[in-house]
Amino acid sequence: MLRVVERRMVERSQVQSQLSEDLSSPDDIPRLRQLKDTEILKSAWEEWNANKKLVEELTPFLQDPDETMRKLAEEDNIRISESLARILSETFPSLLVPRSSAADLPGALLELKSGVGGIESSLFLATLLRMYERFASLNKWKVNSLSHNTNDGGGIKDVILEVKGEGAYDTLRWESGVHRVQRVPVTESGGRVHTSTVSAIVLPLLDEGDVRKEQLYSMDEVKLEVMRARGAGGQHVNKTESAIRLTHIPTGITVSMQDERSQHQNKRRAFQVLSARLMDQKITREIAERRAARNSLVKSADRSEKIRTYNYAQERVTDHRIGLSIMNLSSVLDGDALLDITNALKQDHAQRVMEEMLAGEGDATDL
Amino acid sequence: MSIASLLGSQPFSDLNFRVRPPVLIPRPETEEWVVKLSQLLSPSKLAVSRPLSLLDLGTGTGCIPILLCHIWAKGGVRAHGIDISSDAVQLANENAVSCGLSPDQFNAVRANFLSPEFLSSLSHHLAPPFDIVTSNPPYISWDEYLRLPASVVRHEDPKALFGGPSGLEFYRAIAWLCSREGFLSPRALVALEIGCNQAAAVQDIMQAAGFATEVWRDAWGKERTIIARRPFV
Ligand SMILES: C[S@@+](CC[C@H](N)C(=O)[O-])C[C@H]1O[C@@H](n2cnc3c(N)ncnc32)[C@H](O)[C@@H]1O
Repeated sequence: MLRVVERRMVERSQVQSQLSEDLSSPDDIPRLRQLKDTEILKSAWEEWNANKKLVEELTPFLQDPDETMRKLAEEDNIRISESLARILSETFPSLLVPRSSAADLPGALLELKSGVGGIESSLFLATLLRMYERFASLNKWKVNSLSHNTNDGGGIKDVILEVKGEGAYDTLRWESGVHRVQRVPVTESGGRVHTSTVSAIVLPLLDEGDVRKEQLYSMDEVKLEVMRARGAGGQHVNKTESAIRLTHIPTGITVSMQDERSQHQNKRRAFQVLSARLMDQKITREIAERRAARNSLVKSADRSEKIRTYNYAQERVTDHRIGLSIMNLSSVLDGDALLDITNALKQDHAQRVMEEMLAGEGDATDL
Repeated sequence: MSIASLLGSQPFSDLNFRVRPPVLIPRPETEEWVVKLSQLLSPSKLAVSRPLSLLDLGTGTGCIPILLCHIWAKGGVRAHGIDISSDAVQLANENAVSCGLSPDQFNAVRANFLSPEFLSSLSHHLAPPFDIVTSNPPYISWDEYLRLPASVVRHEDPKALFGGPSGLEFYRAIAWLCSREGFLSPRALVALEIGCNQAAAVQDIMQAAGFATEVWRDAWGKERTIIARRPFV
């Protein structure tokens, strides 16, 4: 890894020497940007070197015949080694891993579907929905519910949220997978603990302009249906039932949208969800191809994988991917401690990409 | 009570219309055929050098002409709406403003198009001939009116819904108007929303007045719009 950092530093000084004297050349703009981007890495590198030098200066004192001198040197040595280790294991990886392009997306679509466990699963879905709404507001993201189906017996069958804001997709994409709850359902009279599941799918949200650029579908591949009878319709009915269903024929993806109050809006929403699904497929495909080419070790997200357990009796939330347990269930459900989990997941991902980068030629451009 | 009347607004294509009882809330069926009409016709396609002149009979919230003005290029159309209800006239003019139209592009006035004096009462800047006539006239028959859901009857003006004993009275009046000498320009188009099962009867009325007709179905599969033009001679 030090090799990689060193190479970056050489590049940086080259760029610096290319700057024109009075910063008047238009080529200076990207150069300055590059310098700015590597500024933090540079100070980390300088800190690393300063510490290394200190260690070298200390070494002779570790053998010092004077007892107090030796003690002092040992203490210093421990402190400095710790700081070196931290730079190596945390600072460098976090700075070297390329800023993911996912960070630049305008937001995410978060889809929650109830799974095993009937009504209990729907009730838990409502709890998770509240957790994500709080989490979004802590992050200052804007949430908009696109589709929302309640369960007749209570709770929510499925829901699609649009979450807009900086880093929303980059953070939330770790939430894709099966979430499991272990608790005594309110509907259970025998006090028995049930296990139920909710699955989450997080999709990248694109700007309308980007959708056009990406050319994810052409209109004649999409079948559009208007659902639900309106009886006589027209002046006879003033309830707006304007449900829309899209089918993307080549992939078989279907999207139904009925929550908006006009057909036009439902259509827009449905196309938005379709684009997100197609974009997601595209990203997954690209990553898989790239990984195959590199024989990657970085595991791809499997959406049927159980990623997390919420255990009520033990007040515990465990993320199985990184073996992290948080012994404060309510703080996770309030959104606060969820941040700790997503941060840990992000860091874990960065670490893996880093390892990858060291193994390969240092060009990992994983999303 | 419908969501629209609770919220006081109803989306209509990419516009938002203020609604207020007792004025009729724009329906998705109307939204659909108006969008279709806007694609079929456009001032540039009709290739007239002057702005098109459009008349909407029974304009309500003004949704039909306002959406057309919005979709078609600015200045390409001068639209007028008339309505018997002063609530509707006021609301339509408010909607034009909130949708960013100038009074030059759209304005609504009070008039009764069933009255024999209708033609002579039209002021000079609302003068025929018209290139496009649109209408979603009241089309519910007496029998059907008695069976309407409460949310319709309670909040919407019977004058906006009740189309006479047969539900067809307004189409007869429109056919009569449109066949008056000089009311329409030679290549004019008339677009009329109809109730389900009225297609045959309304086509008969328009054909008897000398028009060639065409029927459009709505997205729910119901016959919903009659398009009438003078046959080419
Ligand atoms: C079914 S509503 C249609 C409103 C609007 N064009 C729409 O599509 O939402 C019919 C309208 O015709 C108006 N109207 C009824 N009788 C009329 C008459 N004799 N002269 C003018 N307008 C009339 C009503 O006030 C009502 O606003």
